[in-house]
Amino acid sequence: MTAVAIQTGASLVAVLLVAWLVRKIGLGADPRIEDATHAIRLAEEAEAGFHGVEVARDRAGFAAIVQNAEGRMMLVRAHGNFFAARPVDASVIGRLDKDFLTLTMPEKTFGAVTLQLGKDAGMWASRMREIVRA
Amino acid sequence: MPELPDPVVYAVPAFILLLIAEMIVSLRRDRSRYEARDTLTSLLLGTGSQVAGAFVGAAVIGMSVWVYQFHLFDIGIEFSRWWWAWILCFFLDDLAYYAFHRSAHRVRWFWASHVIHHSSQHYNLSTALRQTWTGFFSLTFLFRLPLFLIGFPPAMVFFCAGLNLIYQFWIHTEAIKRMPRWFEAVMNTPSHHRVHHGVNPRYLDANYAGVFIIWDKMFGSFVAERDDEPVRYGIVKQLGSFNILWAAVHEWVGIAKDVWAAPWKHKLGYMWREPGWSHDGSRATSAMIRERWAAGRPVEEPAE
Repeated sequence: MTAVAIQTGASLVAVLLVAWLVRKIGLGADPRIEDATHAIRLAEEAEAGFHGVEVARDRAGFAAIVQNAEGRMMLVRAHGNFFAARPVDASVIGRLDKDFLTLTMPEKTFGAVTLQLGKDAGMWASRMREIVRA
Repeated sequence: MPELPDPVVYAVPAFILLLIAEMIVSLRRDRSRYEARDTLTSLLLGTGSQVAGAFVGAAVIGMSVWVYQFHLFDIGIEFSRWWWAWILCFFLDDLAYYAFHRSAHRVRWFWASHVIHHSSQHYNLSTALRQTWTGFFSLTFLFRLPLFLIGFPPAMVFFCAGLNLIYQFWIHTEAIKRMPRWFEAVMNTPSHHRVHHGVNPRYLDANYAGVFIIWDKMFGSFVAERDDEPVRYGIVKQLGSFNILWAAVHEWVGIAKDVWAAPWKHKLGYMWREPGWSHDGSRATSAMIRERWAAGRPVEEPAE
């Protein structure tokens, strides 16, 4: 048991050292959703068969909501150097605050995402309400 | 049981040096190949896997020794006399690994344990160390039991399994594009294994090999990497989180929720059917994703 404890302790030190080194030497990226086309591509990659037609893109490009012709929505957000997506359904809570729309996903580890959408924020909040009503 | 050293322990310093070398290469070629939180998650999952392995190791060895008492052939462990048995053992252990690995992608119970290894959206040497915490619980050790029944001593099998694991470390990289043609034809390589980690519909559920890619070619699961379609890594529903505990258990939680909510006659299906299966067809399996993707595409030329 002592050997396991020593081995685990040594591993933890090495792990922290390597992770620190990754940050220290400047590895990593700052991923942004460049435009509507990029957002649609990311949503389509996340779900085969999903074809986005409309996009609400966060001003800074950290996240976007993509809607298909049938009215289904997909939230795409930056995650590390890449992106992750989730469908926006009735279980997602939307909160409108002037130009900002915050989506809180039921999956706690995915978290809440705030998008700065300018004057379009209200329109997308209503679209979310339509999904809940449906 | 005769004792042999664990080759993986001796390989760890080389793992760390190669990891740092790959980081330096990434610094020059593509900084996005590494991300500090992703690397930390992968390495902590690897450390947790070692701890979990230490706790259940005695049970696995005990079961192996128990099964070995029913062995069919008497095979010794001394290399100078039984060298051919060592080679055969390594080869058959790799076949057993193929069977395990294929099942790990086709049966949700096994996938729940194996998914940890695929949960990073990166593909670098730290991803190789992102290993399961729940392998024992998901009964993955069953796949090696036939080797003991044949008569390969447990110490020999575990040593070969260690060598297999060491081999698989270096193929988790984007730093190597292609190996020589003869090598690509026989061995598992970074190119073949990139495909295995891909979520592009074309690449889903392919290349299960450990050391020899010939198993995939023999059993119809081989897909070649295409230069015109870069691999996107991870899982179909990307985790979107660096939470280590969630990475380790999220699929088990998913199984528990699904089994709880499913009608009685479908409960077992959420454990033994393929990942993505649902009794009402509301989700998509790899096969369904590939079909949807293929339906919207023209016929293409095969990969080079």
